[in-house]
Amino acid sequence: MAPKQDTPFRSADMSMVQLYISNEIGREVCNALGELGLVHFRDLNSELSAFQRAFTQDIRRLDNVERQLRYFHSQMEKAGIPLRKFDPDVDILTPPTTTEIDELAERAQTLEQRVSSLNESYETLKKREVELTEWRWVLREAGGFFDRAHGNVEEIRASTDNDDAPLLQDVEQHNTAADVERSFSGMNIGFVAGVIGRDRVDAFERILWRTLRGNLYMNQAEIPEPLIDPTINEPVLKNVFVIFAHGKEILAKIRRISESMGAEVYNVDEHSDLRRDQVHEVNARLEDVQNVLRNTQQTLEAELAQISQSLSAWMITISKEKAVYNTLNLFSYDRARRTLIAEGWCPTNDLPLIRSTLQDVNNRAGLSVPSIINEIRTNKTPPTYLKTNKFTEAFQTIVNAYGTATYQEVNPAIPVIVTFPFLFAVMFGDFGHALIMLCAALAMIYWEKPLKKVTFELFAMVFYGRYIVLVMAVFSVYTGLIYNDVFSKSMTLFDSQWKWVVPENFKEGMTVKAVLREPNGYRYPFGLDWRWHGTENELLFINSYKMKMAIILGWAHMTYSLCFSYINARHFKRPIDIWGNFVPGMIFFQSIFGYLVLCIIYKWSVDWFGTGRQPPGLLNMLIYMFLQPGTLDGGVELYPGQATVQVILLLLAVIQVPILLFLKPFYLRWENNRARAKGYRGIGERSRVSALDEDDEEDPSNGDDYEGAAMLTHDEHGDGEHEEFEFGEVMIHQVIHTIEFCLNSVSHTASYLRLWALSLAHQQLSAVLWSMTMAKALESKGLGGAIFLVVAFAMFFVLSVIILIIMEGVSAMLHSLRLAWVESFSKFAEFGGWPFTPFSFKQQLEESEELKEYIG
Amino acid sequence: MANGWSIIIGLVIVAGMCVAAWIFSPKGENQVLWRSSLILAFVSCYLMWAITFLAQLHPLIEPRRSDLRKEYIHH
Repeated sequence: MAPKQDTPFRSADMSMVQLYISNEIGREVCNALGELGLVHFRDLNSELSAFQRAFTQDIRRLDNVERQLRYFHSQMEKAGIPLRKFDPDVDILTPPTTTEIDELAERAQTLEQRVSSLNESYETLKKREVELTEWRWVLREAGGFFDRAHGNVEEIRASTDNDDAPLLQDVEQHNTAADVERSFSGMNIGFVAGVIGRDRVDAFERILWRTLRGNLYMNQAEIPEPLIDPTINEPVLKNVFVIFAHGKEILAKIRRISESMGAEVYNVDEHSDLRRDQVHEVNARLEDVQNVLRNTQQTLEAELAQISQSLSAWMITISKEKAVYNTLNLFSYDRARRTLIAEGWCPTNDLPLIRSTLQDVNNRAGLSVPSIINEIRTNKTPPTYLKTNKFTEAFQTIVNAYGTATYQEVNPAIPVIVTFPFLFAVMFGDFGHALIMLCAALAMIYWEKPLKKVTFELFAMVFYGRYIVLVMAVFSVYTGLIYNDVFSKSMTLFDSQWKWVVPENFKEGMTVKAVLREPNGYRYPFGLDWRWHGTENELLFINSYKMKMAIILGWAHMTYSLCFSYINARHFKRPIDIWGNFVPGMIFFQSIFGYLVLCIIYKWSVDWFGTGRQPPGLLNMLIYMFLQPGTLDGGVELYPGQATVQVILLLLAVIQVPILLFLKPFYLRWENNRARAKGYRGIGERSRVSALDEDDEEDPSNGDDYEGAAMLTHDEHGDGEHEEFEFGEVMIHQVIHTIEFCLNSVSHTASYLRLWALSLAHQQLSAVLWSMTMAKALESKGLGGAIFLVVAFAMFFVLSVIILIIMEGVSAMLHSLRLAWVESFSKFAEFGGWPFTPFSFKQQLEESEELKEYIG
Repeated sequence: MANGWSIIIGLVIVAGMCVAAWIFSPKGENQVLWRSSLILAFVSCYLMWAITFLAQLHPLIEPRRSDLRKEYIHH
């Protein structure tokens, strides 16, 4: 059998393969397959926990490297060094060898040590710097107190001797006293000087006052510049304080309190000479520290800047490497032969490519033992692999959002590519709005490359669906022309089929009717006649037209979708699905709604007034068809023999219900009984696999107990292919299907009326917007009117884009999406598949959240 | 110019376009995609045009308005 080409029409043919890889090149093989991205590996160690697996150690090591790299990144962010992002379009990473990974790990280790030691010393130095700065401030401010205080030692003494004397009497007046050098020590007064956060000053003062019962004199000054707190790395405002007190005990107590309040106490000498020396010393030290600090900072930044050049590439290398080991953990290891055994799904048509890749890796490694890839037969359901391209990707995504199609059933995205945008356009039809949308879509496609890098989420979403937007806009242009709506105005592209009948004595305000220009000739060739625009009975006409159109389009959409169930049944070779589901379903649907559509079209095509008849109402016709079969509403015939035809159609529809109900279950039971009578039995619960040799794929009997055969007994997707036949279950399933189908054919047809409702809403909304902005502005005259027109146009345009294009567009899109998901898919798609998620680096890089900031 | 026969003529044209789309769709794995999308698009557009045309072929009501100005009435 020649291999079929894989098309987007249905899932590609999938094969389960077994790989026998020599242990030494397991990593390289995995790397190559990751680049290829075509194999979906099965977990062969599902009974093992994550810690028990073979390559957990390697993963841990890589985790550590990853952590170190993230640490560098955070340090770089702190230092404000920009990261050179990895551009997958430009930069190419060659698959790393084990030694390269080891080197990278080592390098990351040493770099981490360097960076963290630099960081540490930077922090200590910074702390030192802050301390010195604080000390300098204390010296400067406290010096002032001393200079002032020394001047009035006498008063202080007096105050200590005499309890009534004020503590500091008129300090300001005495600070020029001559005898400044007289010591406090003589009067047994000590002091504590230090720095404290400004927000704590009040509490500090209060606590001191209370614990010492007022036996202190506190003086403080604000430090004008904010100091950096090294622990939190934020600027803090602080005050310098000097506390004078009497006695060692009390001083010790003050010191303790200061420390517990988070104040820094500094050593200050009371003699001004010594203090001056201290100041000099502190300044010198501060300068030194600042020098060293600057150097450290520079070294650190240089180091980080160097790292920033290659950090992204490292990060990606490491995460790829981790993915490789995670994949290797899925393999089973045969100790006796020192080989890794892997199992997985891959597209059948890509087998040669995988095979040659394996061969390549083998050759490069120079191993004598070849890697073997075996296609094996299995009765498991393969994963669904629907190939996409740039255009179909977004369409496939909105289908996959609903579910994964069953393996090999018709890809529901195929009709969606047209029906979804088309139904959207039916609701969105406005030529002007569609043109704006078209421009946006074309711009997104033209500037595809630069716009790809925009990370703003809402835009990224629209950008992802740019081809959907394009198709939607193109169809909307068409439907806009059909509706003859451009920003709620009409275009006079062709001559109207109507002309006004002007009475002789015409006065403005008179009601004027139109008649056909040529009763049996010319009709408006494309779209709606513009003469309808703005008439009093416009809505009457438009509603009737759009409602009928909604029904006809809905009927067409559903009939088309139903036909896919025929294609599916034929592909899966289930004729009973054709005779038991598709045919009766189709007859049921057509004899009611097909007939309705036929009547709508027939009624349109008959010239009722020309032949002097009254047109019957179609809605009542349908109701009478069900309620009183054989009679007509008011006796008005649409066509001769109508009553009989309707009875026959109704009977035809009713007969389909038991066929739908019973044919399939009873046929299946009969088939099962016949098979049992011949002696066939179910194969049992365990799914059996026969491994084949590479060269003779034709002969399934060749499976001479290969060890692979035993390995497929467990399966996470094992949905028991060989179930026992249970009639009850099949019957219940069919009953549900029948009820759903019959009821849904009614409710789904009604559901298409949303096409009418939304297109009407869109048209009316844009008419209202026009009349509220542009219409008013166009009426006003003069300079004011001109200015008003500009403003009104700006408003009209902005509101048009926001409300009519974006909001209405989203709403129409959601409704169209529902019509695809519910009304269309329910007719044919099973959605019983599971997705093919190959091990692929490309996909990994695209989907990883963590790597997003490293990839530009 | 355009009368009841237009529906049939349009149908013939669209059928021709569909056949052309079937024949001239680029070969390769996406051929099915081209064919299905083009034909479906042609048919959808034809359907919509035909519905609109039919709805106006033998109209049951006629436009009526009372805000016409004198200058406009004979257009």
